[in-house]
Amino acid sequence: MSEFDDTSLFHEDDHRVAYIFTAPPTTTAATNTSPTTTTKSAPVRPAKRRRVLEKDTAAPLPAQEKDDDEGRQWPRLFNGLESPSAADLRKKTYESAWPVLESEIESVLRDANRQTLEEVVEFLNSDVHECEGRGRVPAGFIITGPNIAGQDLLFSQLGDVLAERGEGRVREGMGGQEGGGWEDGRGGRRYLDYDLEALRVEMEGRGGVVVAFQDSEAFDTGLVGELVGLFHSWQDRIQFSVLFGIATSVELFQARLLKATARQLYGAQFDVVQANAVLESVIMAAVAGTKAQLRIGPGLLRKLVRRQQEQVAGVGAFISSLKYAYMNHFYANPLSALLVDGQKLDKEILQPEHLEAVRMLESFKSHVEQSVEDGRLDHARLLLENDDYLKGRINRLAAKRQQYLGKLLQSLALVIATEHSKRSFVELYEAALEEGISLDQSPGPFDLGDAIKRSTPEELIGLIKRVMTVVVDGNPSLHWNGMGIGQDAEAAIDKFEALRADVERLIETSKKKKTSLKSKYSSQSRVLRTTVVAQKVQLSRDTATLTEEDNAFTAAIDDFFAFFKTLVGCEPLSNLFLNEVWQYDYHLPYEDVFVPRPGATFARALSRPHDYLGCACCDKANGSMVGTLPATSILYHLYSEAGASINVADLWAAYYALVGEDSEIGMDERSALVLFYRGLAEMRAMGFVKQSKKKADHITKLKWL
Amino acid sequence: MTVPIFELPDELRLSLITKQFPCREPQIRALATLLNPSSAPCRNLVVYGTEATGKSAITTALLASLDGDSFKHAIVNSIECITARHLYETVVGKVAAAVEWEAVVPRCESVSQLTVELSKMLRYTERPDGFRFVLVFDGIDHQREAPHTLLPALARLSEIIPSLTTLFILTSPPPNNLLTTFTPNLHFPTYTKPEFITILSLSPPPPITPSTTPTETLDLYTRFLSALYDSLSRPASRTLPSLTQASRTLWPKFIQPILARTHTVKEFSKLIVLARVHFQDESLLDPTLSLSPPTTTTTTPNPTIKTTDLATLLPTTARFLLLSAYLASHNPTKSDLTLFSTFHHGRKRRRGGFTGGRARKNGSQHRKIARKLLGAHAFVLERMLAIFMAVRTEWDPASGGRIKNGIVEGEQGLDNDIYMSIATLASLRLLVKVGGGGDVTDLGGKWRVAVGWEVVRGLGRSVGVEVEEWLVE
Repeated sequence: MSEFDDTSLFHEDDHRVAYIFTAPPTTTAATNTSPTTTTKSAPVRPAKRRRVLEKDTAAPLPAQEKDDDEGRQWPRLFNGLESPSAADLRKKTYESAWPVLESEIESVLRDANRQTLEEVVEFLNSDVHECEGRGRVPAGFIITGPNIAGQDLLFSQLGDVLAERGEGRVREGMGGQEGGGWEDGRGGRRYLDYDLEALRVEMEGRGGVVVAFQDSEAFDTGLVGELVGLFHSWQDRIQFSVLFGIATSVELFQARLLKATARQLYGAQFDVVQANAVLESVIMAAVAGTKAQLRIGPGLLRKLVRRQQEQVAGVGAFISSLKYAYMNHFYANPLSALLVDGQKLDKEILQPEHLEAVRMLESFKSHVEQSVEDGRLDHARLLLENDDYLKGRINRLAAKRQQYLGKLLQSLALVIATEHSKRSFVELYEAALEEGISLDQSPGPFDLGDAIKRSTPEELIGLIKRVMTVVVDGNPSLHWNGMGIGQDAEAAIDKFEALRADVERLIETSKKKKTSLKSKYSSQSRVLRTTVVAQKVQLSRDTATLTEEDNAFTAAIDDFFAFFKTLVGCEPLSNLFLNEVWQYDYHLPYEDVFVPRPGATFARALSRPHDYLGCACCDKANGSMVGTLPATSILYHLYSEAGASINVADLWAAYYALVGEDSEIGMDERSALVLFYRGLAEMRAMGFVKQSKKKADHITKLKWL
Repeated sequence: MTVPIFELPDELRLSLITKQFPCREPQIRALATLLNPSSAPCRNLVVYGTEATGKSAITTALLASLDGDSFKHAIVNSIECITARHLYETVVGKVAAAVEWEAVVPRCESVSQLTVELSKMLRYTERPDGFRFVLVFDGIDHQREAPHTLLPALARLSEIIPSLTTLFILTSPPPNNLLTTFTPNLHFPTYTKPEFITILSLSPPPPITPSTTPTETLDLYTRFLSALYDSLSRPASRTLPSLTQASRTLWPKFIQPILARTHTVKEFSKLIVLARVHFQDESLLDPTLSLSPPTTTTTTPNPTIKTTDLATLLPTTARFLLLSAYLASHNPTKSDLTLFSTFHHGRKRRRGGFTGGRARKNGSQHRKIARKLLGAHAFVLERMLAIFMAVRTEWDPASGGRIKNGIVEGEQGLDNDIYMSIATLASLRLLVKVGGGGDVTDLGGKWRVAVGWEVVRGLGRSVGVEVEEWLVE
């Protein structure tokens, strides 16, 4: 029986938004019999009522089939028709995709902390001796920002770094840990556990002691004060240094300390790179970079970033949201099995159901429609009817995806390299996924044409150099390795080299001629001329004459821009054939899990129960109060109209008027009263009302928001 | 050979110590007389005085100079002793070390055990004639977890052990001092102005410029110190360290015009006028967690002072919540309707709009203290959330939610992120829960804001809100 319980843990109904409760006839029997069964089979653990009920009511298909599988298996989708190997494949893909990103993110975070750590270690090394004369305790204040969760990583790194440098052990002060278990003092006397004399004997002739307070806001400030006083009085025998992880600011921290304590500290402040700055590098590495198997769609990404900026302190929430997106995609989308490389995706994995699902996709439909419009009728027909043809197309998916990503990252890296775009990387990336990249579109996020064309010769040379570096080396934070060695890359480099040589030559010539080199795009070329003729001022707009070199330079700029345009550009993600396989852009599951709104959910369910019950009687209610609604719901409606304290008798009268004998419902008083009491008890259980202390026959409203 | 009954302390030793601690000669002489076995040794001695008056330092130096075969001492600092038991153990350990006790010292858990152990070591052991042991309890009034019998018990020690002198160093004399048997008291008064100047001018700063002579520098420094004392020390602070700190900070600023060659060393009054701003700055005396004072910037790694302002650190919602909490803490509940309800009043009467409310008929029977003088009040969490919901749309138009069918839809509902922000603020101790018990999410819980006006104003401006407009008083 227990095996059965385990296998039926996952079951399609679990993910449904609403349940329609239809009481099965066996329910009462099951609840009644369950105690007896447990008493009979005493050694078996008491049966869980919920599972027992499920066994009786719903016997889903997958449960039967999975009896022979291991318990850790992911459920099969397509209503259980998915083959076990496909489910396995999804699981494996997930298990290979996420850890890569996780380690990637961690290395980004570690990198961000590195600078701070170096400063702290330098402070601990250098300042200790200098401070000694002053008799104060050196203290490092590490401003970590409100992201307390991030302090863990920082302090563990700090411990590692200090251990590496032979700085002795770092004890993360969690209060009351002073003094280890060193015994054997002088003359065989045991020291007390908290006697720092033991520490002094232990530390004889060695360096100092660093005590780090992670999350110092959580410490009792009195305790911190006493500890500092203690360290200060030992300072001439043991060299103490303290480190505080501070989430707010040194001023607020100091305001909580005694002045006498503050005087005993001598400190330096260290800043940790803030979450917002880290976020961009995390996104570059883990969302946009080549290592990310799954593309987070622009909508979800925007939501995540916005929540990060407005609501959440620290990147932890972002990372878990990202992980959740991965989990969701591979767990619930059967097509995610197609994400593996084309070769591995043998035909056995592809079931008819897969193909059917593919044919349901939005991108498939639009692709077919497009083909029909373009007159490629055979192609469209084959896609729709011939399974093998479709499989062939699916197998080319991986290559196409790589190609698209290459182009996307290349375009983004080049756009960043121009340094003309004022937007942040995240904004550019979102825009690129959503609308594609096109330099012509104006105004748009990639509207670089004017800026590039207006550049002076020197700027242009700098620009060409930067672009060339990107073409050759790629962008390390995106893990994009440049255009590599191929014809395209060589052609691009040759072209850029030639352009640069041209421009340099032009600069040389114009220097010799002692004119300044300009293009027709630069703003100086148009001159407003004033001429005074017979005491009248005439204004005339003149195009400054361009020299031969200027024309050549203009041509060079045009040439550069035209070529640049061939390198930069990509389609929107949603235009791609079968993008749903490797794009995840659903924000509802994410919001349900990470930003639940229990209050609103309750309110909605109570005010419009018919939306969930689907009953015929309340069809016309549409949020208003009708007698057919469940008693609790009616009471809720009355409740939201009432004031701070509600007279129960009035409430009853209002309720009875709605459902009583005079109304359409025509309920007799006794049944109405029973329902009324039950509804009221439910309201109280949900925390809406409580018994009023002031008036005996009143209840107090508890929920206002 | 007979030991003379009374002998004055050795002048040579005393003069050394007097030189080391200027302006403390009477105290040193008295202490030496009361401790010296050949002068007027006493059983218990109380040395008291405020901080930084040289009590511990002088005692330590004097005892060290008196040490010999027939004179030993041990100093126990109460700050280092975490419990009373720790104190006893430390006393026994230090005494054993001082008299070079060979045997194993057992554990010592109470005063009676302490008495036994000390008697073993000091009373029942052969000692040279006229042997005295001085046991110093430094800062015994700050002993943690001290039983209230601790001081009397320690004072009895010298009755049981005749060769023991117990010396207590306290901040203030014991209150019932005159009710008990006579104990000599020695007061270490705070330094006076001439004494301060004498002490500080003993270590003058290096010559300002190569051309100024040390005498000129010293002269200027003395006058500078006098001015400094008058402006800062007398009204605000009287301890030597704080004055030293202030002079160390101010001196470079004071001589800036001389270095810039606009003024000479002789023009003291002009220099004072130029540096007047600094002399008025009392923050010098306020001990800050000084982040690398200017004298040490050469060696310390320059701490990167970025704008790690609270305003930039917190996410937007948390900032709004903190502002709402400040308003809830500082506005009276009765003005909430005026301030936050747009239904009746609009925004007209906001600033100071709530003028007194109803007229007081009974006159001023009992005066009320102005609310703002009372600091932050506690408020109910639900009220804060209501304020937050009320002002949110006005403060942050981006969070455009709409109310549909009585349910707030869109971004504006009370979602979990808001509770998360509250939790963040609470863990940062910016919001403090008043009174124990109850869940954090309990809407009826009482809270108090723990940030001041300056922080809140900055925070408000960072999100484009002038908090002043929303305060009643």
